[in-house]
Amino acid sequence: MGVWRLLKETERPLTTAEGLSIDDTLSISVDSLNTPPILHLYKFVPSAIVGRYQDIEASLRLQRIKELKMEYNRRSTGGGTVIMGPTVLALGFGINVDHKGLGAGVRGVFQVMSEALISGLKYLGIEASFRPKNDLEVKGRKIAGLSAAMDSKRGILFHTSLLVDFDLNLLSEVMNTPLIKFQDKGYSCFSQRLTTVAMEKGESISVEEVMDAVAKGFEDVFQVSFQESTLTDEEWNWALKLREERYQNPQWIFSHRHPRVRMGIGRLKTRAGLLEVYLALAGAVIEHIFITGDFFTTTEDLNRIESTLRYTRCEEEQLMNCLKPIWKDDIIYNLTPDLLVEAIMLAKENQVRF
Amino acid sequence: MADIFGYDMPDELYYNEEHSWAKVEGNKVRVGMTDFFQKEAGDIVFVDLPEEGDEVSQGEVCGKIQSRKWIGKLVAPVSGEVVEINEELEDDPTLINKDPYGKGWILVIEASELESELKNLMQGDAVKAFIEKEIKKAEEEKAKAK
Repeated sequence: MGVWRLLKETERPLTTAEGLSIDDTLSISVDSLNTPPILHLYKFVPSAIVGRYQDIEASLRLQRIKELKMEYNRRSTGGGTVIMGPTVLALGFGINVDHKGLGAGVRGVFQVMSEALISGLKYLGIEASFRPKNDLEVKGRKIAGLSAAMDSKRGILFHTSLLVDFDLNLLSEVMNTPLIKFQDKGYSCFSQRLTTVAMEKGESISVEEVMDAVAKGFEDVFQVSFQESTLTDEEWNWALKLREERYQNPQWIFSHRHPRVRMGIGRLKTRAGLLEVYLALAGAVIEHIFITGDFFTTTEDLNRIESTLRYTRCEEEQLMNCLKPIWKDDIIYNLTPDLLVEAIMLAKENQVRF
Repeated sequence: MADIFGYDMPDELYYNEEHSWAKVEGNKVRVGMTDFFQKEAGDIVFVDLPEEGDEVSQGEVCGKIQSRKWIGKLVAPVSGEVVEINEELEDDPTLINKDPYGKGWILVIEASELESELKNLMQGDAVKAFIEKEIKKAEEEKAKAK
C-alpha cells in the first residue's frame, strides 16, 4: 500500500494567495520531483475565487465584495466562481497524469476524483453522486464542484470546494449571474440548486471532521494511506514565488485572457406553461443557465437539465444531442426538448454584452 | 482520411502523444488538436495561445485549452517560431470541435529542425496503436467504475 502526503491546515483559514499558491506547488512537485500525490485540505478566509479563464469583473460584484471585506482572486484551474470561507472545505490535489489509479482522458480523471469524494461523504452518512459536467450532487442539489488544470508537463492539479455549512444568501450578494442581473432572484436560484453537508445531516459539523472523512475517501479509492506532512523548503520557495508573482499580482487577478461574457433571457409560452431561460455565455459556450417559469418538474430534474447544458456550445443541434440522453417523458410536464432548445436560442438571440 | 475506431485521424498528418497534429506545409507546420481530443474533451470554452514571434520547442507546452472545467495543454509538435495564430478561435473556440483539421487549426510554426523532429512524431500504424491504447485505458476505467 502506497503512502501519500497529506497537508492538513486546521489552525487558521488561509488567504487566497497562500492557499492557491500552495495548491499550484502540488502539481509542480509531483511533476518535477516525481513525488507521490499530495492532498491539501484547508479553508480560506471569506473570499470569491474565479476560474482561470473567467472575466472577474463580469462574474463578481467587486464593490460589494470589498464592502464585505472579502478577498477575491483567480485560481489556476478551470470552471466558474466559488465563494469560499471558514465553513467551506477547500481541497487541492496534485497527482501525476501517468499514475495508475487515474482514469484516462478528461472524463476518466474527473470520474476517479469524484469517486474519492463520494466515498468520503459516505463516512458522513451522505449519499452523493457524480453529475455531469463535473459536479457532485445530493438528491439533485450541488454540494461540490470539481475543476482541474495541467499546467506542468505531467502534473495535474485538482480543486474542489465542498460546502460544509454555508449561508447561501451570500452568493447572490457577491456573484453576478443572469438571474441576479435581470430579475434579482438571487436567493431562490441558489437555495434550490445547492446544498451543504450540514443541511444534509440536519446538524452542524466542523470542517475538520469533513477533512478527515474526505481523506479516508481518498485512501479507500486509491488504496493508499496518508501521512501528514508539510511543504519542503524547495516547495515553500515555489509557493512563495507563485504567491508573489501570481496571486498578489493584479495582472493575474484581472487577466483579460478570457472569452467574452454575454447574458440574455428567452421567454416562451408553451403548453407546459411559461418558460423562462436565463443564459450566460462565455464565448460560444454556456457558462450558466437557469430555467424558471410556471411549469411542473422536480428540483432534481431541473438541476440535472441545467447542469448537463453547462459548458455546451449554444447551437441547436448540440443542445438537442446534449438533452437526448437525459430526457424522459414529462421530465418537464407537457414540454418537449425542442421547445426548451427554442427558449435557449431565444435567450441567445437576446444576449447583451455584460 | 483514416477512421480509427470511430475517430478521424487523417493519414497525411503527424501526431504527438498529447493529441496535437502537425501538417507539413513546406518549411511551415500547421498545428491543431485531433478529433480524438475534441470528442474526449467536449466543447472548448477558451484557447490561450502564444503570440506570433514566440519561439517554441518540440514537446513544450505552448498554449492552454479549457473544456468544461478542465484546462489542458497544447504541446508544440515541432520547434520553431510561431508565425500565425488562428484569430477566429477567439470568437469561437468550438471550431476545434466542429472542424478539427480545417477551420479549427490553432497555429502555424516556421520549423527550425523539421526533418529530425518529424521522426519523433507518430504516423500510420503507430497512430492506430496509440489510439487503441488510449481507448483501452478509458474502457478499463469505466469497467472499474461499474
